[in-house]
Amino acid sequence: MKAWLPFAGVGVLAALAGASLWLASTPTIPTPLKSEAVEAAPAAVMAAKFVDHEGKSRVLGQIAGKVIVVNFWATWCTPCVEEMPGFARVQARWEARGVRFVGLANDDPAKVKAFGERLAINYPLWTGEAAVMDLSRRLGNRIGVLPHTVLLDGEGQVIESRIGIYAEEKLEARLKEILPQGI
Amino acid sequence: MQGYFGRFSGTMRRFLGLAAALACLAFPARAASPDDPLEADQAFRPTVRLISGTADTSGRHGIDIEYRIAAGYYLYRDRMHFEVLPATLLIAPAEFPRGLEVEDPFLGKSVIFRQSATIHLPFTVSSVRPGQYRVRITAQGCAENRLCYAPFVQELPLNIPPGYRVTDSPVRPLPPGLQR
Repeated sequence: MKAWLPFAGVGVLAALAGASLWLASTPTIPTPLKSEAVEAAPAAVMAAKFVDHEGKSRVLGQIAGKVIVVNFWATWCTPCVEEMPGFARVQARWEARGVRFVGLANDDPAKVKAFGERLAINYPLWTGEAAVMDLSRRLGNRIGVLPHTVLLDGEGQVIESRIGIYAEEKLEARLKEILPQGI
Repeated sequence: MQGYFGRFSGTMRRFLGLAAALACLAFPARAASPDDPLEADQAFRPTVRLISGTADTSGRHGIDIEYRIAAGYYLYRDRMHFEVLPATLLIAPAEFPRGLEVEDPFLGKSVIFRQSATIHLPFTVSSVRPGQYRVRITAQGCAENRLCYAPFVQELPLNIPPGYRVTDSPVRPLPPGLQR
């Protein structure tokens, strides 16, 4: 048996321990909550059908934007409702630069409409039944929690999928990374 | 193996052990970040228990569902629904513990359960056929200030043994602290 083997073993273990301790000690906040692999093809994402507040059929592909922010939410989900006014402000600031928000909920359309008016939401709030959480799961939300926010490019490719609250300033910082020219 | 490691000094063995222990301890710390949301079945753990009308159960009979709720998580009382399958075993409306009333500026008043909750499903029949049943629960809950779970379904097996009898009136006055 080679005499250097234990020293090599010690070195490897120490390196692993050091690296993992460093990783463990790095701040976990504000890193995004873990989102799973995206399973939805861009074409399928853009073709998923929902209903707007007038009962008209809608698909994400009808939204023309450089970045489409898809927010899965529900009227009974307090964290969702808390983050939405921030989304409305970001929408107002970034609309001219090609950012389009849309909210998707598996909820009563009348309740969704009332919430939208009460919170002064300036982006479309669409509803659907099982299709809403089905799309959310295929976009990385395996455990089925809300809120879930997905940033898509204009073709339906996922740029980011995040579960949990997406704070206004963090979302804005992310948009600046994606659209650095601000155009 | 014993002979091989026996060649190293006590200091070396201690060093090896320490490095291995550090590696083992450190990796799970990253893998299970406290920020990662739990699966619904981990955050909200139900168990089911068959209750017969004895003095120990205040004369109640039916099914008790005991929820263990992870720290920082809560369940909505009024969003819980219960079924027993096959549906030949009839149950009355669920009896809930008091819970905690919370008021939300957007959602209004709601009652939530934290830590634990035992929900009672009384039988509405005087005799129950023995056999294997399933209790199907639809529930909704949240992780405090972070996220909420879309309605999720949990199923628990329930065995009613031969000889089980509902011996007295199925619906009795509720003990203090319970509400229908």
